[in-house]
Amino acid sequence: MESIPRSRVITAVLTACLVSAAVAETKKEFRYVVGPNTVVSVDTQYGGISVKPGNDNEVLVVATLQSDKAEVDSRQIGDRIEIVSHLFEGADQQSGRIDYEVRIPSNATLSLRSSLGPLVVERLHGDLSVEGMDATVDIHDVANGHVHVNTMRGPVTLTNVSNGHVEVGTITGSITMKSVNGTLVRAVSGGGKISYEGDFGAGGDYKFATHSGDIVATVPAGTSADFSAHSMLGKVQHDFPLEPRHSHMASYQPGNAFVGTVGKAESSVVLRSFSGKIRLTQR
Amino acid sequence: MTCSDVRRVLPDIVDGEIDADFQAHLLSCPACSELVDDLNLIVSEAGTLAETDEPPARVWVNIANQLRAEGIIRDPEGNPARPLLVPAQPRRWSLWWLAPVAAAVLAAGSYQLTHWNAPRSAPQVAQQSPAQPPAATPAVTSPANQPAVVAQSSSTTSHTVNPPAQAAKHQPVPAPLPKAETEVASNQNASREVSPPNEEDQRFLSEVSERAPGMRSTYENQLRAVNAEILETQAYIKRNPEDLDARQHLMEVYQQKAMLYQMALDRIQ
Repeated sequence: MESIPRSRVITAVLTACLVSAAVAETKKEFRYVVGPNTVVSVDTQYGGISVKPGNDNEVLVVATLQSDKAEVDSRQIGDRIEIVSHLFEGADQQSGRIDYEVRIPSNATLSLRSSLGPLVVERLHGDLSVEGMDATVDIHDVANGHVHVNTMRGPVTLTNVSNGHVEVGTITGSITMKSVNGTLVRAVSGGGKISYEGDFGAGGDYKFATHSGDIVATVPAGTSADFSAHSMLGKVQHDFPLEPRHSHMASYQPGNAFVGTVGKAESSVVLRSFSGKIRLTQR
Repeated sequence: MTCSDVRRVLPDIVDGEIDADFQAHLLSCPACSELVDDLNLIVSEAGTLAETDEPPARVWVNIANQLRAEGIIRDPEGNPARPLLVPAQPRRWSLWWLAPVAAAVLAAGSYQLTHWNAPRSAPQVAQQSPAQPPAATPAVTSPANQPAVVAQSSSTTSHTVNPPAQAAKHQPVPAPLPKAETEVASNQNASREVSPPNEEDQRFLSEVSERAPGMRSTYENQLRAVNAEILETQAYIKRNPEDLDARQHLMEVYQQKAMLYQMALDRIQ
């Protein structure tokens, strides 16, 4: 008898796995007609949420459920849409997982919450509030709104976020910012690292603070900012020819603090750490 | 009425019982007036937690069925369809205390930031003494690191607040870090491991265990991390009370702790 080739067996097994996975997954779609002041909130214990801009008068939610141990509770009150994952008894991280793909008006106000994530938001112009325990947060190409992010351990990445207020807080997660500018940019991490790559856009008030995480800021030569850096127990370092100015920080040891201006000092940049290293490097 | 009288009757103002003497004292005493304002704010903020929607009816039915299955409740005779245990108020009311606790954490941080000048005025949230050098943990910084600091400072004195020439010529070799600083640095690792939660933290973790048992370990680990940061910063401020940045940092760490409480409140309701 001719033996079955191993490759065929593997293919058959993989196909069976994919088919069973597809059968277990259930997709549900929700559409809502909304007005100009849309507020959308999505809350899922286990699962990721991805939000992109869609039609200006519609909210579209596609939920992917992994089992019947979870369901989607949704409701609309005027222009306010609330989506909540509801877990039944016995649900765990796998069976209770519901992933969401959401399309909202680009200027809608958005609130996301997930314990595990990931949480992805792109190309929006409204206010954002994102909260995750271990969720990875990725926000990019967002402008003109307040961006508020809180995680416990989840890393946060902001890319091309401009012309608004940005406040990011995490207990032990890392914060990575690329081309993030605004009138107010705050990033606080306890044990995580804060990385910034950009030009500290004109007129902004920037403050990065950690407890033990390092702070690394990489900026171009033409940056115009007033820099102040202090690490109580760590070391600070910079590549810039800072113009010194009077400051209360003169009492600190040079290796633990620096202060000075570059260019016209249009923005204020405050870098603080308890025991992490602070580096200001020139790109 | 004196200030101590005010503090004695303070709980009564929550119920709206204020007499003329009390009012008169508030008008003449800014400290008591501010205290009453803070209490009213906490009470009002806690009240907003109640203004949330009822959970779906199936939640209560499922809870009742589970309790019935475990024999904790029994249907009364003559009315088998009506469970004995029906919550009189939404479950979220029982967690209202977390909001004032979060506010209290922030208030404690604010108090420390503005009033800390005693050698040991540890707030409720930090009960472990930081000055316990571990037996074998090596120091994160040590006098051996100082030559590198000197070299760096010499190369960058032109860019620091010190006048360049004077700094290069006259800046003495910095003395090794004070022993206390090395102790704080070396204690960082130790304090992260041995900073147990206080009573309020324990109550917080108990609520998490009851409502979201799978999350307890995560919240507990994060709480330990934050408490360790609070201890480290407090220890530093003790030795450097004039360091304004350190006081500001302590406030930020308390804000992180309040954020942790708030995130738990949002999730376990």
